[in-house]
Amino acid sequence: MPAERAGYTVTMFLVDISPSMGKMRTVELPGDQGTVEMTNLQWSLQFVKLKIQEMIFDGRKTDQCGVLTFGSDDTNNIVNERNGGYDHVSEFIPIAQPNYTTLAQLDELEPSEVIGDPVDALIVGIDTQDFYLGKKKSWTRKIVILTDGENPIEVEDWEETVKKMIDLDIILTVVGIDFDDEEIPFKEEEKSSIKEANEQFFHTLTDAMPNAVLGSLSAALTSLAYPTIKTVKSVLTGSVLRIGDVDGRPEEAAEIMVKTSKYTSMARPKSWKKFGKRGGGGDADEDGKAAYAQLVMRTEYLVDRAEHDDDDDDDEKPKLPKGKGKDADGDETMEGDEDARKEQMERVEKEELIRGFKYGSTYVPCPDGQFPRLHTIKGIDICGFFKAEHFRRELPMGEVHYIWGDPASAQQQVALSSIAQAMSVKGVMAIARWVARDGADAKMGVLSPSIFDSVDCLLFVQMPFADDVRKYTFPSLETLVNKKGEVVEKHPYLPTEEQQDAMDNFVDAMDLMYAGEKDEEGNRYPWHDLRYSYNPAIHRTKQALFHSAVVQDLAMNPMPPPHPELTKYFEPPKKLLKRARDAIEECQTAFKVKPVPKKVVRQRKDGHVQARDDDDEPLLLDVKPPRRTQTQSQMTSIKSETTPVAKPIAAGSDTEDEESDSAHIPAKKEGGDPALPTPARSISPEMAVDPGRAPGRIIGTTYPLRDFEKNISQGDVVSKAVEDLGHVVTEIALKPFSSRRHAELLECMKALRDTSLKEDEIDAWNDFLRDLKRACLSAHGNQEFWTEVRQQGRDMSLISKPEAAQHGGISAISETVAEEWQHHILISIRKRTPRHY
Amino acid sequence: MPPYDDWNNIDDEEDELQDSSFLDSKRDVILFCIDCSPSMLATHDDPTYEDLQSSHLYTALESAVQIQKKKVIVGPADSVGILFFNTEGSGVGSEIKQGNYIYQHITPTSAPKIQELMQLLEAAREDPTLLAREFPPLAEGTRVPMGDVFTSCNWVLRDEAPKTASKRVFLITDCDDPHQGVERLLVPAKTTLVDLTQAGVTVEPFFISDPARPFDPSKFYTSILLPAHIDEGEDDADAGLPDRLSITRIDDLLAQMRFHEVPKRALFSITMSFPPSSAKGSKDGEGMKIGIKGYGLVTEQKKGSYKYFVDLGDVMVPAAVRSVYLDEDQQAPVPRSEMLFGMSLGATAAAADDEDEEGDGSAGHTRTVPAGSRPYFTAEDVRDFRTLGLEPGIRLLGFKDASELRFEDQVKHSLFLYPDEMSYAGSKRTFTALLRSMVAKNKIGLALAITRRNSAPIFCALLPQREEAEEGSGGWGEPGGFHLIPLPFADDLRAAPVEKGCRAGEETRAAAAAWIGKLCVKNGSYPPDSYPNPSLAYHNAQLEASAFSEEFDPEAFEDLTLPKIDVMHKRAGPLLKEWKLALMKDEAASQVIETTTTGTKRKVAATDVDVDESEIRSKYEDGTLSKDFLKSKSQPVSGKKGELIERIAEWLDSHP
Repeated sequence: MPAERAGYTVTMFLVDISPSMGKMRTVELPGDQGTVEMTNLQWSLQFVKLKIQEMIFDGRKTDQCGVLTFGSDDTNNIVNERNGGYDHVSEFIPIAQPNYTTLAQLDELEPSEVIGDPVDALIVGIDTQDFYLGKKKSWTRKIVILTDGENPIEVEDWEETVKKMIDLDIILTVVGIDFDDEEIPFKEEEKSSIKEANEQFFHTLTDAMPNAVLGSLSAALTSLAYPTIKTVKSVLTGSVLRIGDVDGRPEEAAEIMVKTSKYTSMARPKSWKKFGKRGGGGDADEDGKAAYAQLVMRTEYLVDRAEHDDDDDDDEKPKLPKGKGKDADGDETMEGDEDARKEQMERVEKEELIRGFKYGSTYVPCPDGQFPRLHTIKGIDICGFFKAEHFRRELPMGEVHYIWGDPASAQQQVALSSIAQAMSVKGVMAIARWVARDGADAKMGVLSPSIFDSVDCLLFVQMPFADDVRKYTFPSLETLVNKKGEVVEKHPYLPTEEQQDAMDNFVDAMDLMYAGEKDEEGNRYPWHDLRYSYNPAIHRTKQALFHSAVVQDLAMNPMPPPHPELTKYFEPPKKLLKRARDAIEECQTAFKVKPVPKKVVRQRKDGHVQARDDDDEPLLLDVKPPRRTQTQSQMTSIKSETTPVAKPIAAGSDTEDEESDSAHIPAKKEGGDPALPTPARSISPEMAVDPGRAPGRIIGTTYPLRDFEKNISQGDVVSKAVEDLGHVVTEIALKPFSSRRHAELLECMKALRDTSLKEDEIDAWNDFLRDLKRACLSAHGNQEFWTEVRQQGRDMSLISKPEAAQHGGISAISETVAEEWQHHILISIRKRTPRHY
Repeated sequence: MPPYDDWNNIDDEEDELQDSSFLDSKRDVILFCIDCSPSMLATHDDPTYEDLQSSHLYTALESAVQIQKKKVIVGPADSVGILFFNTEGSGVGSEIKQGNYIYQHITPTSAPKIQELMQLLEAAREDPTLLAREFPPLAEGTRVPMGDVFTSCNWVLRDEAPKTASKRVFLITDCDDPHQGVERLLVPAKTTLVDLTQAGVTVEPFFISDPARPFDPSKFYTSILLPAHIDEGEDDADAGLPDRLSITRIDDLLAQMRFHEVPKRALFSITMSFPPSSAKGSKDGEGMKIGIKGYGLVTEQKKGSYKYFVDLGDVMVPAAVRSVYLDEDQQAPVPRSEMLFGMSLGATAAAADDEDEEGDGSAGHTRTVPAGSRPYFTAEDVRDFRTLGLEPGIRLLGFKDASELRFEDQVKHSLFLYPDEMSYAGSKRTFTALLRSMVAKNKIGLALAITRRNSAPIFCALLPQREEAEEGSGGWGEPGGFHLIPLPFADDLRAAPVEKGCRAGEETRAAAAAWIGKLCVKNGSYPPDSYPNPSLAYHNAQLEASAFSEEFDPEAFEDLTLPKIDVMHKRAGPLLKEWKLALMKDEAASQVIETTTTGTKRKVAATDVDVDESEIRSKYEDGTLSKDFLKSKSQPVSGKKGELIERIAEWLDSHP
């Protein structure tokens, strides 16, 4: 059967509502949701409703239906109006595009008191449909009869009816309740003789027609639940395949007329409509009903004039790009603010707006919404060929297209066929440039030959432009280098031989090549066949859409579970798993993979808070708990952390050794208190008191001033001593409970400033002081200490030019700046501190 | 990667494609940190242009311009700053630490900022000594300690860069020994660099080497910059120092910067689960798990979409866009949290449904149910229907022969997977063993993937890629990892609309093979780097010209994707001619096609066209032929007779 033209169909449902249809039956709910009692009529209406839902779902204006009932108490049909007769057949729903009301109306149908004749209904159906369609000859006509076949049928002249249906190309479906079905198989016990005769009649009727089927309702409902795919034949679009310079050197160039069509085309789940419950007020509840309204989207354009009128003087904060200017803190509260801000903004009509592009923070108006496009000419140009074995399978960007020689021209077909065959024989692919229509954006891609049983074609797939490829660097998985630059053969990151063997066995054991269905000869296919792998999201969403359309209350009638067809490939075949069990377990034992517990992110001392999902950096820091748990003092204490002093310090890698081990026992590290630089003990075990000197430091945290004075007196390490004392002061100031040492620290600073001034370490002092301020005023700093420093006044501030000059030194800082500096920065920092909390 | 949010489609609960944009919208900040020492300022003959003088500083600034020009389009919210060190810097910018001047504060990229820099460069072209005067170097022999440089960078980034942005310093210098061997400066350099790193800043060095002054990173930089030591634990720190780079040509610097232009960001960080060891499975049907990060190495770079602006007279202001959902009758917006989801009520439901109600309800679509009933789904329900209740993750289902992944099993670009040791310890060794095994056995993996919380499950092929060593200096080698290639569903496949066709004979095929062979690149493959997107470049060039208030010259635009026809004809011209002759002789080509779908009469006419074009021309001149001819040339056949004739005329004109 040729693929149907989508839409352009009128379906007539002829529903038997004779008294016999009121018989109750027990219907199993899908899944294990138990059973429910309903009449045969309700049961058969399920079928009608599912069919109509599908039409509503597709939403085609040209997909219409009408419902006739037979066995109705009254008579209401066009044949009766014209000629009389055909009693108890009623036009229940006139032919139209169905909608939600159609479904609601069907729910109101009840079995009647009189019996109706399906053949009468059939004749009325044919007429009603024919009358409605009039001259629309090309429309598809479908008729569906639903009956229990329990009532007598007037069968004479049925051949006439069949002839008419054949003439009109009608597709007839007879759905019988509890009709015998050899395929299920099903045979009704104690079938009445009338029903037996009727079933026989329906067989004869459908057999006499080319496009008719007869089936049982239960089979029909089962097949409706199966995920169905609309087989869409892809549309052929004309194009030209060009080789060489067809304009300038036509005798040496070629143009082949081709048709293109899609091979793959990504289908997406149907979208949901949005609804809102009508106001909670009295009127909704009066009659015990609740109304839900379908919502419409409206796009509003807002402008914040205020923001652009007065430029608030906030130089502390870098100006963020406007528009989507969510602040860097970007958490939920900010989003709330954002919304609040939008509330206050003024609405602008779309007509007042000008289209344009953003060029960084500049705006470029472009009223047309696009610039003139690059001139391109429709067609597919071949740019060259390459060996198919070099094709990079990970590069294709999108869907695959067929390219056929023009089906109307033998010559074009042969030309294309010769290229496809030659490419296939030579094992090459072509690079091609595709322009879908004149002026369209060019795409680059690859052509691959495809040789079918009786036709040759090319397949095209789009490949990336230079702009589309990212070249990120990744550390090597295979070659690991240690600090000394040596290649490491054994490491927890590298699989051992034993582990590799376990993995090899696992890969063999989980081979799917022979795990699928058997063919006629008993050979197994690979497991997972694309042709039967249904997109679960599409079909589940569809099922849910249908469900909510029919069911009045989802609490009473929850969604049945997904059809097993949708989830059949979600887990490997059970038999295979069973056989692979040992290999899987061996793998688990060999690799010992363990989750790394998540760490809580603390704020950094400098306020550079990393969002939790910020990808690399925070995770990278996850393995360095000592640094992070102590962030407030990291700037100064970093060197005091863990590395034994015997080791040369490699910048930024103090904790390297510990890390490589602890990656696998990460909990171990949490115990260590990095604020206590224990390794320093190893320097001078003879000392009674730990001087608290970090490796590489000449000043310790225990007696900083004493260490400093000692070094200064030696005279040769002044710069180092100044620098180290600065670090140590900051470090101590930022430790918890440092307040008892504030006086000592001020002493240190006094000495430090003094020395700096005299020994021409003025910049060092100024830098130190700036650092200290920043550190103290940061989130986990020590504001109290800074206040104390500030109270020392000018004598503890920056060293200015004039002051430096007195001692023969140089300073970049002017006296005014030095004077105001402490005060000024304090204020400005205060302004921002609340944001840290 | 859509560089702009799709403003008019904010409602994204079902569109998977949108998901990646919010990650990409994270801002990127680059601080160019450029050495201004005498050797950087020393002028030399420009390698590309005769009679022009250039300097390393000039080259560095020019690359800063180029990077900004790219950034401004790719990430309009990204910011760039420029800091000079080893300069007195009098008159320009502000001093951070002695000898460290901020020339351009970290600001969102904009046309005026770029133009400012371009003007400086233009002036420097005219007067090669300009840069040295503008940015006077420190006295000969004095250099600022690198510790100060890193601290300056730290301060600038801390104070001026948005907090959540990714922050990078592009360090450009030609001095391999900035401290002239002074040991005491080494430690501060190290510590300040650590501070910088801890503040979330990545330092990307670009070392200038020239034959006269080769750059030896081992003198100083290897000891302070963080190389990719295994014990680093810093998985994603970029792999170590580049080999010494020669950036005397700006192209080289730009090429190198291209690798770093976009900060490396993972699209997702999830687990890959192995099959459970018993058929019953663990509680979630999954066995051993390892950590995985996914990266987009191939993503279509699109033109930015236009936005709406309001003209406030003196200034253009972008309009914020908000989508509201309304109950049309009541004109009341419904908050997102109260929105419910269901199937359309159909085209004309309202009219019939509301008949018995009074007037006001007639316009909108409503559905009435008994009070207390819940006829619609919540947003969470709807998400579950998409995901089928599965949590994000990649579920390994088994293995197939590599040949099972066919060319045509393709719907969407691939993603790249790399192990994440930080979420599961042991991920790397497991991942590596799996990779090795699959490469050795020539297998692909089959997996069920849910990459994001809201994404639908898809089946994917896992294509192993063994790492390849870097080629050339500073080059980029193929990393080891898996390509995750989404497989089509049955729903995505289309039936072939053509089942039969005329096929070429042996001789025609051989004739085709002859010219194909001549046009075949040896050892080549499809080279993405050779094909910049012409339409995108054309658009961006106009955008830039417009932003700079310059004329755009379409003539100057070069489309590099056009076939190299001269080379093609030189190599294969005569062979193409022979193939066309063979085609004429091929018996199959002279068949008359009978198809069921179209009338025979038409077919004959169409075949005629192929046989004798000159006849057509005469027919055309008589005005007796239209649709059939156009159809045979894949031209549209719609329109009135006059239009058809015009179209034929056009075709004949363009195909003399």
